[in-house]
Amino acid sequence: MEIAVIGNSEFILGFRLAGINRIYAADTLEKLVMHITHVLEDPEVGILVLSSHDMARVPQRLQITLEESVQPTVIALGEEEGGISMRERIKRSVGVDLWK
Amino acid sequence: MALKDIKPTRSELINIKKKIKLSQNGYKILKMKRDGLILEFFKVLGQAKDSRGALLVKYARAQEMMAIANTVEGSIKVKAAALSVQEKPDITLRNKNVMGVVVPKIDSNKVRKGIADRGYGILGTSPVMDEVATSFEELVEAIIESAEIETTMKRLLNEIEGTKRRVNALEFKVIPELSEARDFIKMRLDEMEREELFRLKRIKARNES
Repeated sequence: MEIAVIGNSEFILGFRLAGINRIYAADTLEKLVMHITHVLEDPEVGILVLSSHDMARVPQRLQITLEESVQPTVIALGEEEGGISMRERIKRSVGVDLWK
Repeated sequence: MALKDIKPTRSELINIKKKIKLSQNGYKILKMKRDGLILEFFKVLGQAKDSRGALLVKYARAQEMMAIANTVEGSIKVKAAALSVQEKPDITLRNKNVMGVVVPKIDSNKVRKGIADRGYGILGTSPVMDEVATSFEELVEAIIESAEIETTMKRLLNEIEGTKRRVNALEFKVIPELSEARDFIKMRLDEMEREELFRLKRIKARNES
């Protein structure tokens, strides 16, 4: 299986240098959503890498799909933006702030 | 279920008793599931904290190195070098089941490459390019590790939240309401029995006099 990276051209270039073939340049929101939907349906992709900024930009419904997806597993790079942070999520589920 | 909707009959009482037993069993099982999930979650929590931190550090370093390479070599040269890399990292993704929660298990190889395997010419590029490639390879390694742990965490947390809601609903809503209905039917049935007894006694008294 392969790793796919979606983002602006600066973001994806470095990953190409690490040997990742499936890089998709998406400068507009429409392109971003299109590429994400395309990659989610691809059975050959194991991990999908996005920047946190892009993750926060996509529609809510797609964000939920991305967060719940196991194959491909989605990971957002960079400081968490928008949505609920991991800390908040833990606080809500377990009842105690364990992320210290 | 409002009390006024309940029919005070014996069959209803038996039904409600059955429901209470079922709810109590479900409650016990769900409570055990919740505790089990929390235990699993604690196992992943430590790893997740470390991996997220490491990932952010590596991402920042990779970006910094890329900026340096763009300055030193020029963006066209960096692009050309990037496009010549052929060997791609290979990952295997399997699904693991943790108490009914499907989580990914990722194995990887060929992420780190030697300078000679990267595909771009060593003579035509400066060591900065190698540094960038190395930093991005390290980043990809961290991503692979993090992806598994973070997704596991998120899914476990979602499941814990859902199970907690169900446990609480059973404990504070379903079981108390059913118990209330059971007590109400019992009370009504006893009341009816007493009325019946009283009526019989009165009839008997009237017949005797």
